[in-house]
Amino acid sequence: MAMNVESGEGSMSIAKPVSSGLSAVYRRNLQGLALVPAIIALTIVGAMINPAFLTTGNLFENILGFSSALGVLVIAESIILIGGNIDLSLQSTVGFSVVLFCFLTGGGDSGGPGLGWTPLPAASATLVVAICIGLFNGFIVSVLKLNAFIVTLAMLILLQGLTLGISNGQTYTNVPEAILFLGTGQILGIPVQALIFIGAFLIAGLFMAYMPTGRAIYALGGNPTAAFAAGIKTGRLTIGLFVFGSLMAVVAGVLLLSQVASAPPNLGANIIFTVFAAAVLGGIDLNGGRGSIVGAALGVLMLSIIQNILILSSVPSFWIDAVYGAIIVATLTVGRLPMLRRRFMRPR
Amino acid sequence: MTINPHTPPVAVCGVSKSFGASRALLDVSLTIPKGRSRALVGRNGAGKSTLISIITGIVMPDTGTVQFADARGQSRIECVYQRSTLVPGLTAAENVMLNNYPRRLGLVDWGRTRAAGRDILAEWNCAHVADQPAEKLAPVERKIVEICRALSRNPGVLLLDEPTAGLDYAGAQHLFERIRQAQERQVSIIYVSHHLEEVFDVCDDTTVLRDGQVVLDRDLSGMNMRDLVEAMVGEAAAADEVATPPAVPPIARPSLRVSSLHIGERVKNVDLELRPGECLGLAGLEGAGHMQVAQAVCGLQAADSGVFEVGDHRIERLTVPRSIAAGIGFIPEDRHDGGYVPAMSVAENATMPIMRKLRGPFGAVRRLLREQKYRELSGEWAIKCDGPDQPVEELSGGNQQKVVLARAMSSNPSTIVLMNPTAGVDIAAKRSIYQTVKASAEKGRGVLIASADDEDFSICHRVIVMFRGKIHRELVAPFTGHELALAIQGE
Repeated sequence: MAMNVESGEGSMSIAKPVSSGLSAVYRRNLQGLALVPAIIALTIVGAMINPAFLTTGNLFENILGFSSALGVLVIAESIILIGGNIDLSLQSTVGFSVVLFCFLTGGGDSGGPGLGWTPLPAASATLVVAICIGLFNGFIVSVLKLNAFIVTLAMLILLQGLTLGISNGQTYTNVPEAILFLGTGQILGIPVQALIFIGAFLIAGLFMAYMPTGRAIYALGGNPTAAFAAGIKTGRLTIGLFVFGSLMAVVAGVLLLSQVASAPPNLGANIIFTVFAAAVLGGIDLNGGRGSIVGAALGVLMLSIIQNILILSSVPSFWIDAVYGAIIVATLTVGRLPMLRRRFMRPR
Repeated sequence: MTINPHTPPVAVCGVSKSFGASRALLDVSLTIPKGRSRALVGRNGAGKSTLISIITGIVMPDTGTVQFADARGQSRIECVYQRSTLVPGLTAAENVMLNNYPRRLGLVDWGRTRAAGRDILAEWNCAHVADQPAEKLAPVERKIVEICRALSRNPGVLLLDEPTAGLDYAGAQHLFERIRQAQERQVSIIYVSHHLEEVFDVCDDTTVLRDGQVVLDRDLSGMNMRDLVEAMVGEAAAADEVATPPAVPPIARPSLRVSSLHIGERVKNVDLELRPGECLGLAGLEGAGHMQVAQAVCGLQAADSGVFEVGDHRIERLTVPRSIAAGIGFIPEDRHDGGYVPAMSVAENATMPIMRKLRGPFGAVRRLLREQKYRELSGEWAIKCDGPDQPVEELSGGNQQKVVLARAMSSNPSTIVLMNPTAGVDIAAKRSIYQTVKASAEKGRGVLIASADDEDFSICHRVIVMFRGKIHRELVAPFTGHELALAIQGE
């Protein structure tokens, strides 16, 4: 202990001063909550535009419920991004897994070609296929060291093609009752979808913040070499991330299926763009290692609120996407302005 | 050429440079006459890199000037750095002409580009590689292509920084022929190297830096390696550095034993033993294999063959999790690369290898347990920070290194392996690290230190010096800085 004091004094004069106090506390603990003011502002705008906005039905069913599939995908993509990887193929795993299940159980008046299996083996087979997709992506990225972007882009195209191929381009209508309940059912007056949305983010948030595996994922994305040197099995973890992503895509597929009550071959099309928009808005760093699940949840919430307000307001339907895109771009830009100011304040 | 034959192509006059409180250079002057080659040598931290940065214009000196004889059409200085700057995918000839392409109608004329590149390479008897893509060239050919490119821009001075890094003996000799050829064409050369024997092969004159000052400036004729080492190490410093470790540890069973370790061409048949309470150094020039041995012991580097015995365990294929489980803690060679996760807190970084041992109910990491463990470690290493939650990226270099050291100790290892433990940390942090490492050895841990900084060996009981992949010499304390520096040079 005597030694500490001695050496402590020596390094004190040279130690770099570090920012402390309120700003540091805010930065460390509330970083994920950056979108809260924007969400409050949007809520006020929504309430002013249309009184229907602030009804419990609208909030739970349309805002939380309809974005449950998006939310599950955002959780999957955020965790993969935090781990320093990227998976674009999630989007087509959504449609492929659902259409595959309908194909296996289908036949007769199912709306498309099918094999007529019973639901249980069909569901198991679908899960096995999804796990294989994740294993394959993970193996190529982690062992063969190919770029994750291009590998999963190829996988996205392949799965999209397979979905069209097996369904013959037709829409399945043989949706099991249990799945339909997910779409319309309520527990204690709250839609099941909204409960799933809240539960999924709660579990994912706690997992990433407190479980050793969650922390190892942060380390993997923040500095893979350091994670490796700390004894983390980085290869295995990377493969695990992709398998987890595929399984979550299946869950998202089931949630989407329950909403639309049929399985068209383009189920989930283009959803990956919204997934990335929500994750990035929520502060997930595309370079890995930074961002929180709470932030990602707020990102999803914000996008859903914007979409909801656009529908409730009198924006012509063909213009909704353009307005939606413009708001995302604007939000991202505004979020970066403080950094810009810092750069100009400290000229090099 | 129209240049006045009496004006030296480059003259550095009275250059001083400080970074904050630390002085990097003090009143350094050197001139290089036309067609002469000058070696720039000095130990790590002597100021070589700063001087190179000033000569090449990357850093401005605080006082003093760098003057070039400004001949028309001549670029002033061209550098060939240790790291390759060839563009993969382009051929050798295209690389020689990089960014200097002949054009036709505003478009690059690839035919003329290749022809011109081939002509330049032919001047250096290297036309046979002209059409090969850069990534397919042998290491020495790559260096020669880089030198050709530098010389094709007609520099007054050519700066070569550790040009033989990664080359074998024959390759180095081949490179030296080319360097002499360049000299015959009246190009002046600044040659920076840690390998003193090369300096005698290639250079006419030498400038030796020590602690930012020129301590020797003369021609090399009549000098030998011993003289150079003496100038680098310095009389007074050498006397100080007679190592006096606290006490020779009692004879005990080795805590770590490595036998017949082979790693490709870089490490050949290395055996070593480390006893509890002993500090063992692993020294060598860059590429001598000492760092690879240390990495193999931690499982960071796969060995071709060799047996590791840690305590009672005999391990054939060592991986990082296995080495940690066997009781080895380590800090990697470069803390930025493998040491810490910048965005994560100091407490999490320091306890990362033992995360799973800090679990509470539901398998979650218990914050209190982690902070308690962190406080034990941070007390031992005297880490200065706002608190356990501060991200490591906000700390100073010395404190970051202490976090990495704390991480190595978190698993309570019986053996610790330290690679470049004091690289880029200030003097105070260095002292504090030495003290804690010594205290750790006194508690009965075996300590293995592989380093490029000779000062790190001042706390060692023994130093194994490697040269070209083999164990060259073993020094037992007390030894002098001279003895060590000479052994590292392969004497």
